[in-house]
Amino acid sequence: MCSDGVVEGGEAGRGGRGVPRGTRLGVRGGAPGPGQWGRLNTSPATTILCPHFGPPPAAACRPARDCGLDQVINPFLAYGLCVLGGAGVCLALPRRSMTPQIVGALVAALAGGLALLVMGLRNAAHLPNIYFYVFSVIALGAALRVITHPRPVYSALYFILTVIASAGLFLILSAEFMAFALIIVYAGAILITYLFVIMLATQAPEEGETEVLAEYDVQAREPIAACVVGFLLLAALTTMLFRGVSELPQPPAAQPDALLADMPRKVERVLRTNGLLKDGDKLITGRSGDLTSVGSDAGVITVEDSQGVVRTIPRSEWPEDLRVKNIEALGFTLLRGHPGAIEIAGVILLMAMLGAVVLSRKQVQLDEEAKLAQARQLRLFRETAAEGVTGRSMT
Amino acid sequence: MQLLAPTGFLAQTGFPVPMHSATLAHYLLVATLLFVIGLIGFLTRRNLIIMFLCTELMFQAAGIAMVAFGRYHLDFTGQTFVIFVLTVAAAEAAMGLALVVLLFRRKESLDAEAWQDLRG
Repeated sequence: MCSDGVVEGGEAGRGGRGVPRGTRLGVRGGAPGPGQWGRLNTSPATTILCPHFGPPPAAACRPARDCGLDQVINPFLAYGLCVLGGAGVCLALPRRSMTPQIVGALVAALAGGLALLVMGLRNAAHLPNIYFYVFSVIALGAALRVITHPRPVYSALYFILTVIASAGLFLILSAEFMAFALIIVYAGAILITYLFVIMLATQAPEEGETEVLAEYDVQAREPIAACVVGFLLLAALTTMLFRGVSELPQPPAAQPDALLADMPRKVERVLRTNGLLKDGDKLITGRSGDLTSVGSDAGVITVEDSQGVVRTIPRSEWPEDLRVKNIEALGFTLLRGHPGAIEIAGVILLMAMLGAVVLSRKQVQLDEEAKLAQARQLRLFRETAAEGVTGRSMT
Repeated sequence: MQLLAPTGFLAQTGFPVPMHSATLAHYLLVATLLFVIGLIGFLTRRNLIIMFLCTELMFQAAGIAMVAFGRYHLDFTGQTFVIFVLTVAAAEAAMGLALVVLLFRRKESLDAEAWQDLRG
């Protein structure tokens, strides 16, 4: 519980004051020396930040200059932008009276863009990829349109745009499998269900109306209160997140080949197709079928040929295909690390399917008046369709 | 230009290089903004289906944050968790939309306020 929390060396925290921004805890570049971790974990001065146990962390709240958020963005600027964005979103929400929706959207976009720009300027050495900006602008703009568009079908279509843009973000984060799974499952399956339900559950137009916008779609409920709540939450979340981010432990060094020891067949296949493994050669594997010397530590593959001569293939000669792909690593994590969770997910899906079938088979009892009204509406709809009235909006 | 230097899938460099925490902060900001937009939509819109869509927006935000953290720590558990989030979102969409269709058949309206008498 506690031990997984942020481990912060009091020593390192104090030592960090004089160090320029961005270099605390040695975050800038390079792998952590093993000695650094050992010192942090075993030093008597180490304080484990934990809300419930242990002594009160004296180093937890240092002066504001040193308190994390400042390293990512100027706090006052951040809160000002929160207010600006809140006002913009509030203006952009649909209202019965004509409100300047476009102005609101522009104000909100300005606030978001300024926030990203300021963050980029403060840490100019560690800018994200330029595609990050493209995809996140698309995602946020489409999300804003989801909640402001008065027509539900358009909202759902804009949501698909959000999904596709966040799939792009996943690609930048080198999570290729999740990106494509997101598009297939979300944009391809879930959102189509939404579209069908929206079309099923839309009221038929009255006679003589050209477009049907239900009153509950045009008029937002409590826009000001909701924006205040939302952007208060945003201010609190950004404060906590950015403070935590600047105190994160340094990421571990990449171990690109650690999983190769678990994939002897892949190693053999790749080596054979690349001509590094001749007929009669075989990989030397360990007791449990693992390759004994494949891995990040050894960095060599040991091969025994038909005469019994043992040779090694160093990492510099490994073909490009040998690297562990995202989907392979993800598969190992999913199937070896969380087999029980997969079972539970299967049960959840089965239950949802059964529940949906049971719910939608349920007959709704309508009284006579409602039945008559529905019959009238249906007749009206058929008549207008037969007359071939054009210019009627189908949404 | 460093800005244009491709990373990840565009570079085909194989295993990702470590990410700086300032870069992580950008992703977290986008995820937070997406979450807050979803929350505001959930609070303000009165259409039941749009309210469900807004919960999906919030799921998206959580997914982005988890994948970004997983990328920072070079750990695949974040992506694994997003798979389960997808599963739960699919189940929730199936059940929720079945309920919405039932509610619509009963009152011929998708207005959440038409069901105020459900208040306990």
